[in-house]
Amino acid sequence: MKFLPYILKHLRRNWVRTGSTILGMAVCIFLFCTLRTVLKAMDDARELGSVTRLVTRHAVSLVYNLPLSYEGQITQVKGVKRVAISSWFGGSLPAKKESQDKSAPDGGQPDFSKFFTNLAVEDEPYFAMHPEFSVPADEMKAFREDLRGCVIGRGLAKQFGWKVGDTFFLESFIPPYRRREGPFEFVVRGIYDADKVREPAADDRVMYFHYKYLYESTGRRVGAGLYVVELEDPKQGATVARAIDGIFENSEAETKSETEAAFRADFLAMIGNLALLLNSIGLAVIFTILLVTANTMSMAVRERRTEIAVLKTLGFTSRQVMGLILAEALTIGALGGGIGLGLSVVIMRVMTRVPAIGGFINGFPNFGPHWSVSGQGLGIALFLGLAAGLMPALAAYRSRITEMLRQV
Amino acid sequence: MSAEAARQPAAGPIVDVRNVRKVYRRDAEEIVVLNGINVQVPNGEFLALMGPSGSGKTTLLNLIAGIDRPTSGEVIVAGTDVGRLSESELARWRSHNVGFIFQFYNLIPVLTALENVELPLLLTSLSKKERRERALTALKVVGLADRAGHYPRQLSGGQEQRVAIARAIVADPGVLVADEPTGDLDAKSAEEILALMESLNRDFGKTIIMVTHDPRAAEKAHTQKHLEKGVLKA
Ligand SMILES: Nc1ncnc2c1ncn2[C@@H]1O[C@H](COP(=O)(O)OP(=O)(O)OP(=O)(O)O)[C@@H](O)[C@H]1O
Ligand SMILES: [Mg+2]
Repeated sequence: MKFLPYILKHLRRNWVRTGSTILGMAVCIFLFCTLRTVLKAMDDARELGSVTRLVTRHAVSLVYNLPLSYEGQITQVKGVKRVAISSWFGGSLPAKKESQDKSAPDGGQPDFSKFFTNLAVEDEPYFAMHPEFSVPADEMKAFREDLRGCVIGRGLAKQFGWKVGDTFFLESFIPPYRRREGPFEFVVRGIYDADKVREPAADDRVMYFHYKYLYESTGRRVGAGLYVVELEDPKQGATVARAIDGIFENSEAETKSETEAAFRADFLAMIGNLALLLNSIGLAVIFTILLVTANTMSMAVRERRTEIAVLKTLGFTSRQVMGLILAEALTIGALGGGIGLGLSVVIMRVMTRVPAIGGFINGFPNFGPHWSVSGQGLGIALFLGLAAGLMPALAAYRSRITEMLRQV
Repeated sequence: MSAEAARQPAAGPIVDVRNVRKVYRRDAEEIVVLNGINVQVPNGEFLALMGPSGSGKTTLLNLIAGIDRPTSGEVIVAGTDVGRLSESELARWRSHNVGFIFQFYNLIPVLTALENVELPLLLTSLSKKERRERALTALKVVGLADRAGHYPRQLSGGQEQRVAIARAIVADPGVLVADEPTGDLDAKSAEEILALMESLNRDFGKTIIMVTHDPRAAEKAHTQKHLEKGVLKA
């Protein structure tokens, strides 16, 4: 584009004004992208989990297991369709690949940088009540027939380059889940795909293995981390939850059952207001930047009246002159948008590393720069530039050479 | 510069103004600025247009340059009836056929001398290299090749006007129009500018129409015409 140097030189002429406008635009887009990302992460988190499922856990804390005898009792509760144990194993890959090597008797230190979620589940009911995970039938069969078998998500498989048939070792940092013989050995028997349409936040980086393997290997002493309960009727969630918790009231291990719908209702009310607030802040900022940019552009064009007349005299058509002004405004938008976007990406990266905040943010399954948010941000920046340049551009389009030259 | 081509004797006048009237309407009031102007300018002419302030000199010049349209009558320049062209056709036509020199130079402050001169060529299909070469040649013609990288504010008034002249001739138009080109200059600079314009007329065959208040400037022209109250006097 041969007119680009011309446009850039104009932006540079009044670099303080251009710079502050671009900076304002950048801050606006930065705010927009960051707010949107947070909102989107919350939205996704809210969507996570089906209304048809309940979670029953230890009333005091997640770190305590529940007795295995509870499973039968929960199954008896009216309105319960299926129950599945799901225990968070907390395993990570040993630092050395050959950690079970005799020369390293303690198995080496776990490598936490390669941490991923691994759950010991009762495969049949668990996968039956999670239709968003799909495993080819033959792989599922092979998994069921192998005690050391596991099913991993497509994302996890990609991350570690694992294929069906590969073996690896995991060691838990939870003492009761460690065993004298060293880390647990697993064989990848299946790879599941997560249906993100059905469950926008379905995680495809989880590893599932047989609860039985964990149970048998640890001297048949461990309980259940939690029970996932499938409901016959989503509307009865609250009733069923109360019924379950009622059974174990005043027992040694009281339970806490939450319907995800109830959880959602609370969460929605809170986030709904938050979203409204954040969105109105965003709108106010965008509107302000529109005014600032429009002001910059009209100042830039007003002080250039003669120049516009000269361009037209030289043979630039009205359309070309208008195009130059719009291109200038778009450049402001693109620069501001690009900087703002970059800033928000950097900030989000940094935030995930800040100890306290990072843990919270990483709790959202889909946190991070997302193309739809970035696209929106850039789109808004370009739109703002265009909108700000529109009036001055139209004025330049309509202006008559003779009149502009007269008003020197 | 296709000096040879421009010097070919043309069949008729290169500028032919016929019965031109220009009327401005302000509310109910009519201001007749030009009232039946007829003027023929032969190719290769150097014409000085004089007259008191407000007599319509600039208005006539703008009509000839194709940046304004007559209320009635015809303005035919280089064989084209300017009044019949659409807005964008007219813009295109201007870029090929007329070079405009302003009293206040009107260089673009953010561009260097070379870039200012190059500006009209951005409308052509020339390559970047060709554009640079042509612009540099034009700067050489006005004797400012060594100032190519300077910005307007780094140049004197006379030098700015010479850059503006380079810009006017870079696309090699047949006609140059100048509205008081020396009006803002000291005597010495004015002298240089006039010498340059004489040379463009003599050596490059440009037809020049120049509005001026300065009798010494008018003397350099071949012909002088006087405009008074919207009517031409010889
Ligand atoms: N757009 C317009 N609306 C109304 N009147 C106009 C307009 N443009 C020019 N005029 C009038 O036309 C007349 C001639 O103006 P013009 O600029 O052609 O004079 P001039 O001979 O160039 O004067 P000067 O020597 O001062 O430059 C003036 O009276 C001016 O007020
Ligand atoms: Mg005038």
